[in-house]
Amino acid sequence: MVDEITFEVLRHRLDAINDDAASILARLSGSQLAAEARDLNTVIMAPDGRVVCCGRYVLAQVVSMHLVVRDILAQYTDNPGIGPGDQFVTNDPYVGTLHQPDVVVVAPIIVEGRMVGWCGSTVHQPDVGGPNPGGITYDARSIFDEAVPMPPVRIVEAGRMRRDIEREYLARSRTAELNRLDLLGQVAANRSVVEQVERLCAQYGAETVGAVMDRLLERTELLLRERLRALPDGRWRHVSHVEYRPHGSAPGEPEAVYAVRLTMTKRGDDLELDFTGSDPQAPGAINAAYPALANFAIGSVLIYLCGGLPWVPGGVWPVVRILSREGTVVHAKWPAGVAMSTAATCQAIRVSVNSCVARMLETSEEFAPLVMASCQAAGGGGGTVHGLRADGTAYATMTLDEITGGGGATWLGDGADSSGYTTSPGASCANVEVNEAYLPLLYERRVELADTAGPGRHRGGAGTLHALSPYGTGTPMTMMSFGQGLQHPLAAGVCGGEFGGQSVVAVTPRTGTDDLAVAQGLPASEGWSLPMPSSTIQIGAGDVLISVSQGGGGLGDPLEREPSAVLDDVVNGLVSVAGARRDYGVVITNASEDSPVSADEAATERLRAERRRLRIGRSPAPRATGGRAGRRLSAALDLLPASSASAGTAVSGRNQRERDGVVACARCATVLCGAHENVHEHLVADDVSPAGRSPLGAVYAGGERFVVRHFYCPACAAQIDVQVCRVGDPVLAAIEVL
Amino acid sequence: MTAGSVRALIGVDTGGTFTDTVVTLSDGRLGVGKALSTPGRVEQGVLDSITRAAAALDLTLPDLLRRTAILTHGTTVGLNALLTGTGARVGLLTTAGFESTLPIAKANKTHGLDELDLGMPTRWRKPDPLVARADIAGVAERIDVTGTVVRPLDEDQARAAIRRLAARGVGAVAVSLLWSPVNAEHERRLVALVGEEMPGVHVSSSAAIAPVVGEYERTSTAVLDAYLAPAVGTYLSALRERLREQGFGGVLMILRTGGGAEPVEHTLRAPVNTLRSGPVAGLAATAGLARTLGRPNVIATDVGGTSFDVGLIIDGRTQRATRPMVHRHALAIPVVEVESIGTGGGSLAWLDHGLGTLRVGPRSAGADPGPACYGRGGTRPTLTDASAALGYIDRLGNAVELDVAAARAAIREHIADPLGISVVAAAEGIVRIAADQMRDLIRRTTVQRGHDPSAFALVAFGGAGPQYASWYADELGVLDVVVPDLAAELSAYGAVSSDLNIGAERGVVPTPLDRAGPLIEATLAELAGELDASLSAEVDDVVAASGRGRITHRTVALRFYRQQRSIELAVEAAAGPAELARLDATFRERYEDLVGPGSADARSVVEVVSVRVDLTVAVPVPPPVLRKPGEAEPTGARPAWFGGVEHRCAVHDWRRLPADARIEGPAFIESEQTTVVVPPLRQARMDPSGHLHLGHLG
Repeated sequence: MVDEITFEVLRHRLDAINDDAASILARLSGSQLAAEARDLNTVIMAPDGRVVCCGRYVLAQVVSMHLVVRDILAQYTDNPGIGPGDQFVTNDPYVGTLHQPDVVVVAPIIVEGRMVGWCGSTVHQPDVGGPNPGGITYDARSIFDEAVPMPPVRIVEAGRMRRDIEREYLARSRTAELNRLDLLGQVAANRSVVEQVERLCAQYGAETVGAVMDRLLERTELLLRERLRALPDGRWRHVSHVEYRPHGSAPGEPEAVYAVRLTMTKRGDDLELDFTGSDPQAPGAINAAYPALANFAIGSVLIYLCGGLPWVPGGVWPVVRILSREGTVVHAKWPAGVAMSTAATCQAIRVSVNSCVARMLETSEEFAPLVMASCQAAGGGGGTVHGLRADGTAYATMTLDEITGGGGATWLGDGADSSGYTTSPGASCANVEVNEAYLPLLYERRVELADTAGPGRHRGGAGTLHALSPYGTGTPMTMMSFGQGLQHPLAAGVCGGEFGGQSVVAVTPRTGTDDLAVAQGLPASEGWSLPMPSSTIQIGAGDVLISVSQGGGGLGDPLEREPSAVLDDVVNGLVSVAGARRDYGVVITNASEDSPVSADEAATERLRAERRRLRIGRSPAPRATGGRAGRRLSAALDLLPASSASAGTAVSGRNQRERDGVVACARCATVLCGAHENVHEHLVADDVSPAGRSPLGAVYAGGERFVVRHFYCPACAAQIDVQVCRVGDPVLAAIEVL
Repeated sequence: MTAGSVRALIGVDTGGTFTDTVVTLSDGRLGVGKALSTPGRVEQGVLDSITRAAAALDLTLPDLLRRTAILTHGTTVGLNALLTGTGARVGLLTTAGFESTLPIAKANKTHGLDELDLGMPTRWRKPDPLVARADIAGVAERIDVTGTVVRPLDEDQARAAIRRLAARGVGAVAVSLLWSPVNAEHERRLVALVGEEMPGVHVSSSAAIAPVVGEYERTSTAVLDAYLAPAVGTYLSALRERLREQGFGGVLMILRTGGGAEPVEHTLRAPVNTLRSGPVAGLAATAGLARTLGRPNVIATDVGGTSFDVGLIIDGRTQRATRPMVHRHALAIPVVEVESIGTGGGSLAWLDHGLGTLRVGPRSAGADPGPACYGRGGTRPTLTDASAALGYIDRLGNAVELDVAAARAAIREHIADPLGISVVAAAEGIVRIAADQMRDLIRRTTVQRGHDPSAFALVAFGGAGPQYASWYADELGVLDVVVPDLAAELSAYGAVSSDLNIGAERGVVPTPLDRAGPLIEATLAELAGELDASLSAEVDDVVAASGRGRITHRTVALRFYRQQRSIELAVEAAAGPAELARLDATFRERYEDLVGPGSADARSVVEVVSVRVDLTVAVPVPPPVLRKPGEAEPTGARPAWFGGVEHRCAVHDWRRLPADARIEGPAFIESEQTTVVVPPLRQARMDPSGHLHLGHLG
């Protein structure tokens, strides 16, 4: 039995040891991905691989690193054996990494013959071989057109690096020197963890250290189950879309659409994530293998549900059941290509979990502070760039411009502007000067872009525009874009908030320095027709590459946003005067550069009333007086118990009775339907084209297949929900009472 | 020597609660003064504190000031303006198309958050903005990586932008353009235009203050500078005036974030350099101590009210932080590396019911109401309450009695009773957890950076460092644990013993070392010229007062291709092939020392990232009066608990302890401002200079 004080001392120590490993890694790494983007993470694991401590860099890289450890335990215990001082390297997405560029190195911690645990790290490598620089082949027919992954290999034996295996590992990379520094960093980081845990065991006993790990896992599981029990049971659904052109697609044919479909069910203290309804896999690139699904699903549960709880992913696992079918886009079957999973299907997985968890948390006033809309799910700047410098040397890397999209709105406030992915908390974009120092390019612009934030009572964080050209080199730059969310928005709002703005990636001829300002000023209604990025984009000396990172999702009905907050955004350039009117129904007057602006209260009042009338086609009912009744079904809906007359027949259990109840609008108290029905079918649904809010007015072919579906209360016109779906899709049962 | 010919040096350090003064006289005497800091009229606290130090030496304030050649001061006026959000309204001029550099903040939403906020994703947020987006104006211009003008500065547009900022009511202006470290022409011109359009307004130029590659950090630094400038400028000018009125005719020097001190005339040009001078002063004193003790490597530890700070002295020198931040804002100026955690005397102890653990910090009781034992209405237990409950301390500085009963009650109610353990066991648990957190931080700053603690001595200072040093210094295997004389006023002592240091630094486009010879030579020459031109007359006064000459250091910062950490090396000869080869070899050697054998791959390219010239003038402090050997005589005794057992503990007066006195634990050694706790099975030894050495018995 470990007392509270020793437990705290060892818990703190293990966290410190793990953090140190990340610092060692970042310091030794020579790659920009590790140094700037902090595209790395470290963990300490229990003897069976369950993650006990994890850093807060790129979460999805490590939360299920136990899959790698379990593979090693299952396959290598006898041959080649697992001994003190050994370390294993792998980049196999079918074993446990997200995709091939993520290289994992794990090491057992063995003290006096006893397995005390494991440690490990992941670093995103600039290049791991394969046909294309950067490790990703857009139109791969299978994984054999990508970098062929390396299963776990014992690269360090009893403390000594195997030179032959090191060579074999580095030989495949175009950036062997950088990969070597990262490998050394990963090996040194593991070594440091092993030594320090050994010392901890010498001081406190391996049993005590083991007991602390067990208790962290047990307590975390217990706490999460407690949190789940405090929430009503229910089922929630979300559909998110990925676009992709498989190899051999006919010219002119729009991208194929792959839907990720999640049904999340919470009963008692169990959480089930059912992805079995997702579309069949693509031939290559965008698929997620099971480890990527697991990593993103559990990582999302950590971020969106476990705020304030210990971040012990190994304790979350037993609570969450992931269901999937092999051969689908979320659970690819070998040898499907998977190298682009993280930027494509994994983001759809993340948004789906994000959205369903938010719907679940909305049912509780207590947990409302944890509700967060989706951060950017993509950015037009995502992708690898490569080419030749003036001196003929080659470069291949990512600009990291993508990591500047908006964060999701919360009940505590607006989403963080230009703050990057929530699932990569420690990641940074690179300085313009750093990119210009190492790459032959010149930026023309990097600014937060007005009207990209998902509108809402609290808005999402603003997204960002980047514009750059090849510079100081005679040869063009080639980009392989990962850009998703070009044809429709991806970053979901919550509680009736709008989606964050779409991604944009475009190459336009440079005709003058003010060219871009013109492009930016294009009224959305005019539209800017753009081709979808093909597998590789050439940016010549006379071209500008324009990219937009998505805004974050909003929270709540935008017509409920304080006009003064909208005015602040206008003054700060995050919302345009036209956007204030279009998205928030706020009328801004005196808007000129040199005079102060103000919100016209009376005109705003009138415009907002008119908007509400337009939403439902008649005069809206007033807001009800008094508090909310029944229990919350969502931020905007209440679940009222069945009337006493019909309740008499209810016999078994609380859930039975809940389905007998009715659903009412929380704003006007109008009863909408029975609790057993799909409430969305009883709301006013209004499908609008995503093009209306697309940044820069960008319109991509294929976008016409999608709509943004708004759901309004038929009585008071409150905006209750917003979804993105394909034209003609049936109404999703996004909220189901059990 | 007659009283009239005795010369004085003064060091004054303003902290959150107290302003400390240390005076050294040329006859070897020391005077110490302490006064409450006076927010709003900070200079009054400084004068009060100096007056008390003067009185301790039987002098009046004018008597002392008239014989003072150098007064060195560490101020928190700038830091306070930042922490309380009361700096200037800043307007920022930057390259058009890049107005969002500062708001984007490299997408940082978590760096610098405390542990509790880190665990709550809905609380992740950007650093608090120091400039409103509407007060950022783009200027039409562009320079490229080679310094070539791609787009000339549009002066008409720039003037219009400046006028717009003026109309919006900004009180200070920062200028930061892309690639200004490589070509500062546009930035200099803009500074001139601001001077014409907004006369009298402080302008901070990024190329002048922090000419390093990386526009976010450089812009952040320029904006911080502008934000603080009015507050720091007003204060320092007022202080200079008050001192002169009282007869001071010497040089007023101000401590710098990067170490050393500079004449106030230099500080007023770039007040951002005062931001983190508090911990730096303590480190400066420790560096001096390291020389006295003959220990080139020292771990400096400081336990304050809300934080625990650790800095390293290696080969007698402080270390430079890699990516410094202050209050989550990036700084691109040299900053002495000090690592901190939020564990201090005021840290709250609490039960984490979910995890089933006793936690200490990171939240703090603050100064008001403070720990329960302060008797100001605090009811939540803190680390200081644990020490009070265990009998380790029984009074606050200046003989304020502690309310031990309130401390025990707070621990009983919130910790002991819920856990079902005694108050003593709970209090000892709190001390142990806090000490372990402190030790974890020491390990991180040593072991994890490739330093072996067994090559270091550890120095404990600050009001509370001496209370906990025996615990947190344990298990590290350090050579010696030293509680220096004036432990509680060490920052003021650090001020008085700081050397003059003025530096000029320039970031260069990362260039492979073997091709960088001409670049290094040209940059060194330019920097030396700039430095010479910038020197105020006061520098000559310091040279005269110290009796020492100027020393110039030339350094380059080197790193492996694109790595995060660079290492500064001295340039010892003209940067020809031989010197470049020597630098390359030295870098690889140093790198392997830090990272491990075999880590410096021969194929890895070494690149130059910045070049620096420093001018230093040593300010020698007279040696202290040595103590005579003798036996320790306790002045009293009081009960205290160690390991659950109540002990009767001897109490000693630090001032009266003779050299070589050995005190066996359990015992306490008290000075006016601090208590050294010597637990059972430990001992303390006094050395002739007045420093205590802690160790195990036998």
